[in-house]
Amino acid sequence: MLKISNLVKCYGDSKAVLSDLNLEVPGQSCIAIIGASGAGKSTLLRCINRLVEPTSGTIELNGVNLTHLQGSSLRMARRRIGMIFQGFNLIDRLTVMENVLSGRLGYVPFWRAALRKYPQEDIDRAFHLMERVGIAHYANKRADELSGGERQRVGVVRALMQEPEILLADEPTASLDPKTSVQIMELLRSLSEEYRLPVLINIHNVQEAKEFTQRIVGMRFGRIIFDGLPSDLDAEAMDHVYDGVPAAEREDAQGVILRAAAG
Amino acid sequence: MSEPVSNPLAPPARRTWRKPSLIPNPALRWSLILLVIVYFVWALSTLPFDWNRIQEGLPRAARIFSGAFPPDLKRPELVFTGLMETLRIAILSTILGVGLSIPIAFMAARNLAPKPVYLLGRGIIIVARSFHPIIVAILFVKAVGFGPLAGILTLAIYSIGFVAKMLAERIEEINWGQVEALRAAGAGYFITLIYAVLPQIMPRQIGLTIYQFDSNLRASAVVGIVGAGGIGATLMNAFRRYDYDFAFAITLIIIAAILLSEAISGRIRRKLW
Repeated sequence: MLKISNLVKCYGDSKAVLSDLNLEVPGQSCIAIIGASGAGKSTLLRCINRLVEPTSGTIELNGVNLTHLQGSSLRMARRRIGMIFQGFNLIDRLTVMENVLSGRLGYVPFWRAALRKYPQEDIDRAFHLMERVGIAHYANKRADELSGGERQRVGVVRALMQEPEILLADEPTASLDPKTSVQIMELLRSLSEEYRLPVLINIHNVQEAKEFTQRIVGMRFGRIIFDGLPSDLDAEAMDHVYDGVPAAEREDAQGVILRAAAG
Repeated sequence: MSEPVSNPLAPPARRTWRKPSLIPNPALRWSLILLVIVYFVWALSTLPFDWNRIQEGLPRAARIFSGAFPPDLKRPELVFTGLMETLRIAILSTILGVGLSIPIAFMAARNLAPKPVYLLGRGIIIVARSFHPIIVAILFVKAVGFGPLAGILTLAIYSIGFVAKMLAERIEEINWGQVEALRAAGAGYFITLIYAVLPQIMPRQIGLTIYQFDSNLRASAVVGIVGAGGIGATLMNAFRRYDYDFAFAITLIIIAAILLSEAISGRIRRKLW
């Protein structure tokens, strides 16, 4: 279970990107986070695995408070949190297998990883997962030779190699064409069920969000302003989430929130 | 308010155009030009040129050059050992220099190293770059004596100055997403460097190594002249014995060796990119 309480993130002295955000994810579920660019979706996911340092508030994953971990305990926590990226973030010049095995870097000792001498069970797991998503025949290809959809599968498998307790997907389909994008969403949903995983997906495509997830969280100005079933997300709620021009939004964010609170 | 559409037949209000000057202020422009001229004349007039000596020297130079023709490869075995020593100096100094450059480049990359380490790395590069190889060679010849060791140490430092700087700049341009992905997987600092940074800089690394080998081969002939071993030492000895035709032959051999090495490395580098 993931429990985020009173999360605040400010960059420098500027206005808060996340302000007093609360979210609970109990057990297995596939959750879409929607919202205009700049609403704080990416920052929220990155606060969870501490690629971004939260300013204040707490994030608990299965009873462990992630917000104050340092050094090796932070790495122990991170290896239990899988992340999938918009740009895939594969190591282009390494093979697909090396990319997949790099999901084990938090577990294997330095020299074994540097010499590519991974434990047999890691290699078994890698082949098993690659077969599951249909990329096993690419094991020795260089990652940059694959198509977008195949590369994102490598990204998904790398995350699953971590034996994660939760998956974070930051716009996993934004760099893909509509067809592969649906395939990746489908894959994330079924993997969430197979491995009993909570999956948080930042996504711009509301149709896909409604179709493939069980719960939708709408963010605006660094807060959650919608949280419900896909069927609850009607036109009015959509307007509320996406109202306004993203660039101008940040400028008068504070004002709108105050007005919304007053009205 | 919109501009009225002008009649295409009427002459335009302005009919001259000149390219704006690089320095728009004319006073500044002309005083700079004047300053350069005055300085040039002054510098030329204050440096001691001994015209008589130059006049005497010209026939001597002619004698040297006529003595150098035709080039004569009198002792090929001497040239061969010199050339082989130069090659060994170039290879060893490239391996040593590039090997040291890699950790220094990581230290000197702003995006990876903590501030004090970054400053140390940059400091090493600046020191390695600030002296011409000849000066470093003179220092090393004094420190470790005549011979190839002085040459190897000199060129290793020369290699660090160039390779570490270029490599550090490449490291600062890496795709950060790949680093982020491995950090998110819980990977430690050094294994992240090996997995996410090294593959990205590898092509540049190999290209720089080949280029630096070329460069070291050239420079090792030059530092040999001040006593750091190799073909440069052979050349200098020939000059000392007034053996100009032999010296000229050695010079031609050096040029041929450098051209050959550049041709080979050029091919390899084209294949790499």
